[in-house]
Amino acid sequence: MIMPRMVLVTGATGLVGEGVLRRMLGDDPALEVFALIRDDTSWARLSRSLGALAQRVVPVRGDITLPGLGLEPLVRRRIELQAAAIVHAAADTTFSRTLERARAINTAGTQNVIELAAECPRLDRLAFVSTAFVAGRATGVVAEGDNGAPAGWVNAYEQSKYEAEALVRSSGLPWTIMRSSTIACRDIDGEVTQINAVHRALRIYHRGLAAMMPGDRDNPLDVVTATFVSDAIARLTLDPRAVGRTVHLCAGRNALTLGELVDTAYDVWATETAWRKRRVERAMITDPETYRLFEIAVHQTGDPRLRAILTSLSYFIPQLALPKVFETTAAEELLGIEPPCSREFWLPMLMHLQATNWGHSTEKAA
Amino acid sequence: MIVRVSPNSKAMTRNDIPKQMGPAIAGISYAFPNGSRTVAELAGEAQLSSSAETLESFGFGSVHVAETETPYELALTAARQVLAETAVDPESIGLIIYGGTPGSMSFATAADSERAARDLCTQSRFKYPATRLQYDLDLPDAWTFAVDQLACTTLLAAARLARSLCLTEGIERALCVSAEFFPVNAGREAIFNCTSDAACAVLIERDGERNRLVSATTVTKGYYWDVDTLRDEIVASYFPTARHVLLKTIADAGWAPGDVDWIIPHNVSTRSWEILSSLVRLPKARVFSENIVRHGHTLAGDNFINYRGALDGGCIKPGQRVVMFSYGFGAHWTGVAVEA
Repeated sequence: MIMPRMVLVTGATGLVGEGVLRRMLGDDPALEVFALIRDDTSWARLSRSLGALAQRVVPVRGDITLPGLGLEPLVRRRIELQAAAIVHAAADTTFSRTLERARAINTAGTQNVIELAAECPRLDRLAFVSTAFVAGRATGVVAEGDNGAPAGWVNAYEQSKYEAEALVRSSGLPWTIMRSSTIACRDIDGEVTQINAVHRALRIYHRGLAAMMPGDRDNPLDVVTATFVSDAIARLTLDPRAVGRTVHLCAGRNALTLGELVDTAYDVWATETAWRKRRVERAMITDPETYRLFEIAVHQTGDPRLRAILTSLSYFIPQLALPKVFETTAAEELLGIEPPCSREFWLPMLMHLQATNWGHSTEKAA
Repeated sequence: MIVRVSPNSKAMTRNDIPKQMGPAIAGISYAFPNGSRTVAELAGEAQLSSSAETLESFGFGSVHVAETETPYELALTAARQVLAETAVDPESIGLIIYGGTPGSMSFATAADSERAARDLCTQSRFKYPATRLQYDLDLPDAWTFAVDQLACTTLLAAARLARSLCLTEGIERALCVSAEFFPVNAGREAIFNCTSDAACAVLIERDGERNRLVSATTVTKGYYWDVDTLRDEIVASYFPTARHVLLKTIADAGWAPGDVDWIIPHNVSTRSWEILSSLVRLPKARVFSENIVRHGHTLAGDNFINYRGALDGGCIKPGQRVVMFSYGFGAHWTGVAVEA
């Protein structure tokens, strides 16, 4: 196993990036990290969170969207000379971005990282954190490799990450592409530290503001924990066998069905007296054509709030009707472990959302 | 006033092979006012919230507008007509259930409705259309009351009540009457539907062979009482609750989804019926939606006006299985299963 002295991590203040940092520093007492930070506030928060591990983190101010990552020349030179690996986890994961905006951050930003990596003579690895949903509208078994994109994508995020993967593959660098599934919670205890599109969608259904979703009860729905993804990235970045490999950090065959995930959610909500009193019907899982008719009807009626809700869902909810199973053979071979079963953390995650009122109670406390 | 008299009323009385007896629809009549407007005309009069194009795409064409007629006059006309058509012994009618335009407002024209509404706050509030119907129809022995706060499910609820009371109180026949109108300044759109003025009278008999009321389901969700504030949630809840009510009505009738021949709708957007039909999945059921374009949404009367139309048009055959469904804003979902 290679032992890089210095690792550059982009996106270190994000849920996955911070986990990678924590795992790498924890596993290797000799390791030091350059953490690309956009502002002092986010570094202060990260530093507090890392505790003693922060002593081996060098915060470097920069921005992946800027040429040369916006690094001071001397800082950049130091990174070029010392970096043995780069973990590029920074991304804009907002599904509703325009393609132009998503590309500016996720694709052009990756190109900027590749250009820096190309100037690092000691670099053993460019670890690119991607998304399993570069598969876009594809259905069926999704292989751990470049599968093309004949079916197109559901949102600009997926497309921009697909295009970024292509840049990484053609970079001539020792790369590893690690595709994360949708992150449901931090770990199997279900704690949610960062509200994402899945949680917001659950909130909408909990409030009874949307009553159907496209898909089939038997469709698999792949979700994972941030810890599983972070630990895997930390390990595979340092694993020479992973060079030139694309791996799925997904539940794969351990994914639950849409029907089970939805039923579990409504079962949890039904434990609330106030929710039960409202008699919210369970969301119907329906065919995409019927769901589309409903969307059109709402858009035609011009009700601004409902329109906004359906628009926000539209950036990812079509994936529910595009059943896919992410192959995890390569990931399991390299990691030597099975991905966690979604059943282990989906229920605790729902209970955490309920207990914290979707993060509102913790936000208020903070 | 336009009174719809069926040229084919024997469709309601044809004596085919005797079947199971039970509470049944013995007759239906309805009355529309003389006035009408197209959707485009309503838009031109600023009576709509949505555009004319949107409402036309939802299947609406024209609606009936009461200008000179009062709701009570329409109700009385429809009621007299159903009694004349069915020619039943008046003494056999032991119950009148009225629903729709409340109290003193039912005696006012649309232009006078705001003054009449103010009368609801005076001693005039005790002027009831239900009791006046009993007198005007000369049905002195009929137990008489009104149902209220059920919106578009009023007449289905009245029929359901009549069915139950016929069975439990020994009443031979019950007359259910609804009369709905929109005051002149109330607009003509209700949650994306074009509304029409009409009265409908339904005669229920305890021991009928045809058009038997087999089952009924109502779900009321009190949480949605504040329709102004909870409008979005109401729209979202409409479809899953409607699906639940339809399937329960079918199951309570002892039928399978594949047994249903017809859905008799309330005249809301054809788009919403496309969606609901797709969600409920009744393999051979057809939705009788042809009245939506020509009558609009008459609130409580739709289902029975449509049922009559489907019978008269020869669409519904004897013995076929029919489910009526309506949603009342505020919020009630009601389904009634009928064996024709």
